[in-house]
Amino acid sequence: MLTSYRAKGQVYHGCLWVLKRLAAIVGAGQTRFGDHPDLSVKELFAEAYREALGSVDKGLDAKKIKALYVGTLGVGGYQIGNVSAALADHVGLRDVAAFRVENACASSSFALLSAVQGILSSQYDVVLVAGVEKMRDMSSDRAKYWLGVSGDTEYERLAGMTFAGHYAIMATRYMHEHSVDKKYLSMIAVKNHYNGSLNPKAQFQKAISLEEALKAPSLAYPLNLYDACPTSDGASVLIVVKAELAKKFTDTPVYVTGFGAGSDTLALHDREDLTGLRATRMAADQAYQLARIKSGDIDFAEVHDCFTIAEIMAYEDLGFAKRGKGWLLADDGSTKLSGRIPVNPSGGLKAKGHPIGATGAAQTYEIFHQLRGTADNPSRQVKGAEMGLSHNVGGSGATATVFIYQR
Amino acid sequence: MAFVSVPVYGRNLRDKYGLEASKCTSCGFINFPSKGSCRRCSNTEGFTKVNLSGKGTIYSYTIIGAGSAPPEFSAQQKASGSYAVGIVELDEGPRIVAQLIGCDPEKLKIGLRVEAVFRKIYEEEGVVIYGSKFRCLSKKQ
Repeated sequence: MLTSYRAKGQVYHGCLWVLKRLAAIVGAGQTRFGDHPDLSVKELFAEAYREALGSVDKGLDAKKIKALYVGTLGVGGYQIGNVSAALADHVGLRDVAAFRVENACASSSFALLSAVQGILSSQYDVVLVAGVEKMRDMSSDRAKYWLGVSGDTEYERLAGMTFAGHYAIMATRYMHEHSVDKKYLSMIAVKNHYNGSLNPKAQFQKAISLEEALKAPSLAYPLNLYDACPTSDGASVLIVVKAELAKKFTDTPVYVTGFGAGSDTLALHDREDLTGLRATRMAADQAYQLARIKSGDIDFAEVHDCFTIAEIMAYEDLGFAKRGKGWLLADDGSTKLSGRIPVNPSGGLKAKGHPIGATGAAQTYEIFHQLRGTADNPSRQVKGAEMGLSHNVGGSGATATVFIYQR
Repeated sequence: MAFVSVPVYGRNLRDKYGLEASKCTSCGFINFPSKGSCRRCSNTEGFTKVNLSGKGTIYSYTIIGAGSAPPEFSAQQKASGSYAVGIVELDEGPRIVAQLIGCDPEKLKIGLRVEAVFRKIYEEEGVVIYGSKFRCLSKKQ
């Protein structure tokens, strides 16, 4: 009962519930993810920035933006220092405090988290969150070098581990402990490729069959090429404002009502359990508590599916399924677009693409449009969605964020 | 392309060459690889060194497919194809990541007995980097 009141977004001051509006998102932009041989990092950012500014229904004078939080790993080392100032300069943002936030694949969701904190501190009213990464214009050796920089460097790297290898080791253990067949992992790839086929901004806009997903070349046993996200170029930008000011910019803001962050050991061999991510559970507990909701209240989610096993573990760590039962949601259709709780309507990292720093803010971009009913393709609009969740993981689970959003 | 520089590699040679662990004097937990705090009680000082037996069981594993190795392992992969990496649970308790050798990939499974062997890992900056790999044992061992 209480849950249904909250789900309608009603506010009961001094009574049962006060919807916690921590900050509001009033604009969002995202480049298509994939190959952009003609665009630099700055130009990718500028494209997403222009879309975000243009998406503010009642307009926004860029001079009102007082801070820029950039999430990027900086793959390739194109601009290791002061990248946030470089981006601000490129689009003429002269009056911003510029920050760079780096937590591997979770960089721009941590940037969003810092932005919300900046607003909650009352220092800023209007801020910009950006995620950028350019991964496609370097040699494969160089790309592989950079993919390994976010794991444990002293032992895992010396054992010849890869990013896929980390999640493969988790998958082997998960499948062993819960007696799960590989095909349930591949079902995640099939679902997310289908969703990606409907998303004009996805890197892979092609549906695949379960047979295709199962017979792809092995990457890191038990994971094959179709269990893995690609490398991508891309950028995403969010305009975040103080909740009380939101209606000045749009009649349909999306509010952040909960957020949390967690961390864990870098090396997998230091973790007691390899069948889930402790950092995710920490982040989810905080976010649910702050938003005063339960996992069952979530209508749809964008979760971190860098590899198919990661989405199954996320189902469990976020509370959508009991521990050891996440794979059942892959099988019974619960998380399809038409299911009980659609997961990764955008296609996820798997099909939409994974430009490392841009992924977190791009998840929020998707949720912004889904909650406003403005998904770019009506056939992938989640019907009647009131409450969304985003979940972003850094590396093999050393860092993670969870955000809750309501209309 | 060097990833772990030779000086960085050299700083914890005794861990890597001799499987030297740190036993916490506060709670008795055996920490390996050694780090700045005890994994169990977060104590940051007071450790005694103990050498591990190098025997253990496979806790989990993967087989890194052709073409996907990090650049410093490209030479190994070109010479011998895909290779297995596992997390080994040592008999004294700690777990460690390492390459698994001498195991039939088709028969690799969780729970197999393994032992540490001293092997060349790769060459970088003109220096041969050594470390531990784990070799599959027959059931009785």
